Amino acid sequence: MIRIQKAVLILTVVFLAGIAAVESAYAGAMLADLENALMCKCDDKCGKVLINCTCSTSDETRKKFTKLLDSGLTVEQIIQQQVEKHGETVLSAPTKKGFNLTAWVVPFGALLVGGLGLRRLIQTWTGKNDSGKKGPEGEGEKISSTGPSKYSRQLQDELDRLEL
Amino acid sequence: MNDIGEFTLMVALATSLYGTVAYVMAARGNRMDLYRSAGKAPVITWACVMVSSIALWNALFTNDFSLQYVWAYSNIELDYFYKFSSFWGGQKGSLLFWALILTSYMTAVYFQGRPKNLLLVSYAMAVMLAITTFFLFLLNFSTNPFERIPLPPLDGRGLNPMLQNYWMVIHPPTLYLGYIGFTVPFAFAMAALITKNLDDAWIRLTRKWTLIAWFFLCMGNLFGASWAYVELGWGGYWAWDPVENASFMPLIVATAYLHSVMIQEKKDMMKVWNMSLILLTFVMTIFGTFITRSGLIQSVHTFDEATLGYYFLAFLLFIIVLCVVLIIKRLPLLKSKNELDSFLSREASFLLNNLVLLGIGFATFWGTIFPIISEAVRGVKITVGPPFYNQVNVPIGLILLALIGIGPVIAWRRATWSNLKKNFMKPVITASVGAAALFPIVPLSNRSEIYTYIAFILCIFVMSTIIMEFFKGTRARRELHQETAVSALGTLVWRNKRRYGGYIVHVGVVMIFAGIAASQSYGTHVEKHVKIGETIEIGDYMLRYEKLVPIQATSVKTRVVAQLAVEKNGRRIWTARPEKEFYKGQDQPVSEVDVRSTLVSDLYVILADFREDESATLKVYLNPMVSWLWMGGWVIALGTVVCAWPDRLEQRRRLERLKRQQAVFAPAQE
Repeated sequence: MIRIQKAVLILTVVFLAGIAAVESAYAGAMLADLENALMCKCDDKCGKVLINCTCSTSDETRKKFTKLLDSGLTVEQIIQQQVEKHGETVLSAPTKKGFNLTAWVVPFGALLVGGLGLRRLIQTWTGKNDSGKKGPEGEGEKISSTGPSKYSRQLQDELDRLEL
Repeated sequence: MNDIGEFTLMVALATSLYGTVAYVMAARGNRMDLYRSAGKAPVITWACVMVSSIALWNALFTNDFSLQYVWAYSNIELDYFYKFSSFWGGQKGSLLFWALILTSYMTAVYFQGRPKNLLLVSYAMAVMLAITTFFLFLLNFSTNPFERIPLPPLDGRGLNPMLQNYWMVIHPPTLYLGYIGFTVPFAFAMAALITKNLDDAWIRLTRKWTLIAWFFLCMGNLFGASWAYVELGWGGYWAWDPVENASFMPLIVATAYLHSVMIQEKKDMMKVWNMSLILLTFVMTIFGTFITRSGLIQSVHTFDEATLGYYFLAFLLFIIVLCVVLIIKRLPLLKSKNELDSFLSREASFLLNNLVLLGIGFATFWGTIFPIISEAVRGVKITVGPPFYNQVNVPIGLILLALIGIGPVIAWRRATWSNLKKNFMKPVITASVGAAALFPIVPLSNRSEIYTYIAFILCIFVMSTIIMEFFKGTRARRELHQETAVSALGTLVWRNKRRYGGYIVHVGVVMIFAGIAASQSYGTHVEKHVKIGETIEIGDYMLRYEKLVPIQATSVKTRVVAQLAVEKNGRRIWTARPEKEFYKGQDQPVSEVDVRSTLVSDLYVILADFREDESATLKVYLNPMVSWLWMGGWVIALGTVVCAWPDRLEQRRRLERLKRQQAVFAPAQE
C-alpha cells in the first residue's frame, strides 16, 4: 500500500511540476497579444475582449494599435497607455500585483485548503474504519501482523471481479 | 386576449399562494382533504400561466403593439419563427417563460407523485409553489408583460438582430429547462430536511429529474456556444462572459452532486455534503438569474431593463439563510457512517473529483464577482476576462480529465496493487504510446500548446479506460452466457444502464475536451482585403473572392453577401457565402458567418467589411476539431438517455422503501 501511495504522490508531484513549468514558460509571452490583453471600449460597453469583438470600434482600435506598434511602441507601452486612458478596467485580466493578486491566488489557495481538508477527512474516515475492524481481543492486530491471508486476498480479487 | 392573459396571471398567483399554504397545512395536520384540495393548485397554476403565455404569443403573432413588450421586441416584418422566440427575448417575457417551465415541471412532479401520497412530495410541492409564487409576484407587480401603451405605435422596435438566429430559438428554452429543472431536486431536498426523511429516498425520487435538468443545462451551454460561434463572428464559442459563467457554475456543482450522490447510495455517506451540493446548485441558478437581471455585472447577455436585482438578491439571501438554518438544525440526523477503507478507492477518487469540480466552480465564481470585490475594496473597477479563466481553470480541468479516467475503474472500498495494475496497465501504456506518437507531430511552443498536448494524452488515457470497461464487461457476458459480441454489449448496457450510460457521457465529455484543446491551440486565421478574383490561402484551402451581392431581404433588413469559391488541391469543394446584415434603426450590422465543418477542422469565413468598389475585407479561420464539441454534446445526450431510461424494478423498490418508513399520509380525515 505504501508503494502505491508513493507512486501516486510522485505522479502528482510530476504533474504539478509540469504545470508550474508550463506557467513559467509562458509568463513572458502572456502580454504578447494586445487583442487578448485588452477589452473593447466601444460606446455600447459590449464587455468583450478585443479579440472577440467585431464592432466597428474594435476594428478602429485594431488599426490604431497596428499603427502604434509600427511606430515602435512596445506591447507593454501600449497597454500602459491604454490603462492611463481608460483605467484598469481596459485590461482583460487583473494584474498579478497588489490586491489583484488575490484574484489569482485565492482559487488555487481554496483548492489547496480543500485538498488538505479532504486528506484529513479521508485519514479520519479510514482511521475510523481501521479501528472499527479491530476485534475486542486484538484480532485485527493479529491479522495485520501476519499480513493478508490467502483467503483475504482471494476475497479482494473476487470483489475486484464483482465490478464487471 | 391581453386582459385574459393579465387576469390569469393574477389567478395563477392566488392559486400558487393557496397551494403553498394548503400543502403545508395538509402535511402538518395530516389532512387528506386539504391535501386533495391543494393538489389542484399546481394544475390550475400551470393552466393559468399557459393561458397567459398563449395570450402573449397571440399578441406577438398579431402585432399587437398596444403591449409595450410586443413593441419593444417585435415588429411587423419579423419572421414568425422569431416572433415565437421574442417571447423570451426580453426580461418580462422571459420571466413568464420561466414561470411556464416551472409550473410545467411542477405539474409533471405532481402527476408523478400523486399516486404515492407521500409526505415528502407534499412538502416538495409546497416549496415549488412558493418559488412559483415569487416569480408570479414579480410578473404581476414588477414586470408585467401585459403592460399597455396608451397610444399604440404602428410598428415595433424589432428583436435584437443578434437574437435572430435559429440557435436563439433553441438555446434559451434548453438552458431554462436546465436551470429551472433543478428546482425539483431542490424542492425535494428541502422537503427531506423539513420532514426529517433524510435517508436517500429524496435522492432516488429525484435522480431522473436531476439528470434531466443536468442534461438540459449541459446542452443549453453547448447550444449557447453554438450560437456564439455562428452569430458573434469572432471565430470562437466561449468568452467566459459573466452570464456564460452563471450557466456554467450550476452545471459544475450539479456534476459534482451527480457523482457524490453515488457514494451516499452505495455507502450511506456524505449526507450533509450531498444536501449542500443540491442546495448550492439551485442557489447558483438563482445567482445566474440575479446577474442577468440586476445589471450589476457588465455582460453582453444582460437584459435591457435589468431592474430586478434587489428582488432576486433578497430571494437569493432568503434561500441561502433557509438552507443553512435547515441543514444546521438537521445536522444530527444527517450524520452518516463516514467510513472509508482506503485513500485508493473509488469513493476517495469521487471525493477528489468533487474537490476539483468545486475548485473550477469556485474559480469561476471568484472571477465573476471579483470586479465587485475590487470596486468595494479599492474603489477601482477591473475586468476579469478569458485570460484569467483560461489560466486558472485549464490546469484544474486537466486534473479533472485525469480523474474521469481514474474514477470509474478504480475499485470500490480499497484498490490493491493487483487491481490497479489490472485496470490501469493497458490505458497507461496506450496513453504513453499516444504521447510518443503525438510528440513529433504537435507543436509545443507555448503554454496553450503544451496544455493541449497533455489534454490529448489524457483523452487517450480516459478513452482507453472506458473502452476497456466495455470490452471487459462484454467479454465476461460472452463467457457466462454464450452470447454474440453485439448481444452481450447490448445486454451489458441495458442491464447496467446507469453505469454504462455514465461511461457514454464520459466519452462525450472527452470529445468536448479534445475539441476545446485543439481549437484553442492550433487554430489559425488570415485577414485580407481582396478585390474580385483575388485569393486568400489558409492551410490546404484557397479561397477565391467571386462577387458581392446586395439583397433587400425585407423592408427593414438588407443583406450583403460575399461569394467565395473554396478550392482544395485545385478542386472546387465548397462555396462560402458570409454576409453582413443591416437592420433599419440599428447602428451595428450583424455578421453572418459561413462555416464548412469537418471532423478535422472548420473553415470559418467572415465578411468583416466591404467597399463600394466591391472589394471586401475577409477574415478566414481554420479551427481544428470544433465539430467534436457538438458531437460530444450528442454523445452526452445519448448517455443521459441510457442513464435516465426507466427501470421499473428500481421504481417499485423505491416506493416500497418509502412505505416501510411510513412517510405517507395516514388518511385520518378521509
